[in-house]
Amino acid sequence: MIGRIVRSLSVAAVGLLAVDVLGILVLVSTTPSFASTFNLFVLLRDIAVTLLIALAQMVVLAIGQMNLSVGAIGGLVTVIMGWLMAQGGVPVAPAIVLALLLGAATGAVNGSLVLWTKLNSFILTLATGFVFLGMNQGLTKGIPFYRLPEGFAHFGQARAGLFPYLAIVTLVLTVALAVFFRWLVPGRQMLAVGGNRRAAELSGLPVGRVVMGAHVLSGLLAGTAAILLTAQLGEAEPTVGQTWLLPSFAGPIIGGAALTGGTAPIFGTFLGVVLISLIDDGLILRDANPFWIQFLVGALILGAVIVGRVQLRGLRAGEALRRLRSGTSPTVGEAGAPR
Amino acid sequence: MEAITRVSADRFDPLKLWSRLGLLLVNVGFWVLFAALADGFLSDFNLFTLLRLTSIQIVIGLAQMVVLAIGDMNLAVGAIGGVVAMFTGAMLQLVGLPLELALPLGLAFGVLAGVANGVLIVLTRINSFIITLATAGIFTGLMLILTKANSYSALPFSLVSFSGRQVFGLAMISPYVPIMLAVALALFFLYRSTRLGREMLAVGANRRAAAMSGVRVSRIVIVAHGLSGGLAAVAGLMTVGLLGTAAPVIGNDWLLTSFVAPVVGGTLLSGGIVSVWGTVLGGILVGTITNGLFLLGVSSFWLNTFFGLVLLAAVWLDRLGRVAAGTETS
Repeated sequence: MIGRIVRSLSVAAVGLLAVDVLGILVLVSTTPSFASTFNLFVLLRDIAVTLLIALAQMVVLAIGQMNLSVGAIGGLVTVIMGWLMAQGGVPVAPAIVLALLLGAATGAVNGSLVLWTKLNSFILTLATGFVFLGMNQGLTKGIPFYRLPEGFAHFGQARAGLFPYLAIVTLVLTVALAVFFRWLVPGRQMLAVGGNRRAAELSGLPVGRVVMGAHVLSGLLAGTAAILLTAQLGEAEPTVGQTWLLPSFAGPIIGGAALTGGTAPIFGTFLGVVLISLIDDGLILRDANPFWIQFLVGALILGAVIVGRVQLRGLRAGEALRRLRSGTSPTVGEAGAPR
Repeated sequence: MEAITRVSADRFDPLKLWSRLGLLLVNVGFWVLFAALADGFLSDFNLFTLLRLTSIQIVIGLAQMVVLAIGDMNLAVGAIGGVVAMFTGAMLQLVGLPLELALPLGLAFGVLAGVANGVLIVLTRINSFIITLATAGIFTGLMLILTKANSYSALPFSLVSFSGRQVFGLAMISPYVPIMLAVALALFFLYRSTRLGREMLAVGANRRAAAMSGVRVSRIVIVAHGLSGGLAAVAGLMTVGLLGTAAPVIGNDWLLTSFVAPVVGGTLLSGGIVSVWGTVLGGILVGTITNGLFLLGVSSFWLNTFFGLVLLAAVWLDRLGRVAAGTETS
């Protein structure tokens, strides 16, 4: 089963990689300003933040749940950190630690409510998303915190050639996540719970702790994305996060994540985010109508899942035949699964 | 046809009746509270605005409810509402079509967009969440590209003034209220008395059982999404009438709120169980609380927090009720 998933994902990833490379080649040859050091720096910084948002969604998709509050968590972490630095006079390092703790805490709220109420994570995080957003707006009245410490804002602009310092954070976290899901027991347990929760329970896995862990991780990643974005913007904007919902799902879904859980396509998510950021960058450089981005991201999601489905159909054809013969057709959940 | 009888039996469950009355009582409680505490809550003007806005919210909730009924979601409700608003605005202002032609065309456009969702879901067998997430981007993107995000404001006066009229000789009732009630009534009869409605619930309760009982599942999925598109279009047109302009931002913030009224009203995300009047009452509750807190001087910035807490409390109590009644496992 896991072998099959890995096989089908790597096919998807290779296709996606080819599309990414093609996109880069097209942009390099048609748009001279694309290959400038500064543009590549902006592009990489954009990817660094968006990838964390996408990973924040991916870790809950891995256990077969959703987190509709990623954006609201990002917004709340942004303004609390902004308040700590600008009003509270808290130095940068402790402010960042507190911001990360807040991100983890919001994730813990989601996780414990999901476990305690046993409500669908979609509805639950929809509700907590409103709560976090309301707290953000109620505390700030919509006014940004402008006076952030210079060193912090400087970090958001710092680069070595085309490589943004911000991206180091994302790089480390992404590699850590890859190791986590590939080799570490808690990561494997998350995939097991996402693949088949009942089986995981019966095998004696600590399902409650695993669900909690995934939500806390999601909150941490969303919080980290918020911190990086705040450093980049140089001010703590209460509106941070309001546009995160679509990219948070687009990255993992284009990258091959299944809404039903059990997958954590980190490389695929990275490639998906790169593709979205390339399109965004290309449209801006070409001075194109910026509204194309929504259309193209939508078309990309659709294209990616349809291609993935066609691939999977081939892989699954044999199994489907066997199932038909034994008289059990796929259940609704499987029939409705993305791939 | 076991699935169908089981589903229709659910609708006469005494617990569900109680939970519906419970929501009514909660509504009455808040109305009494705000009438006593909030100055001007019962004024004609306030009730008129409250009911007018709430009517639109309820229709948006119903657009989501009809796909929840079959166990699907429609993340494109807002996108369809916005596209229909702009399409109709363009038909009226640029093409110069009369209202009698432009409004039905707008509705048909919404139905078509919904049918497109349904067909894609059926053909690809991909989760409705992903398909409608994608089409939402495609619809909104295309609309923004074509309109360049300009608004259409030169609309016929009869459309613009319509929502401000008073009906039944009552100063607090906008024509939007009877429109919303008519839509709700039609849906109530759809689920209660028609084969199509019961087949939708059967598909939502257990897709495979429905298919094996001879329900043409693909057709039902397409019809439900078409209906959802049509209802989103109604809400889009109502919003155009309310704003007096077809603006590209219409529908932007419908996505998350569209789930609130049906879910507070007891509609299950897993499908098979809907409550039309629950959705109406859920919408009224949210509208009432928002309006009342505003009148009480609670900063509008905090409203989302209350909104989320109410949603959380409502779904949790609903679940506890179901567990107590044994219709859901703990």
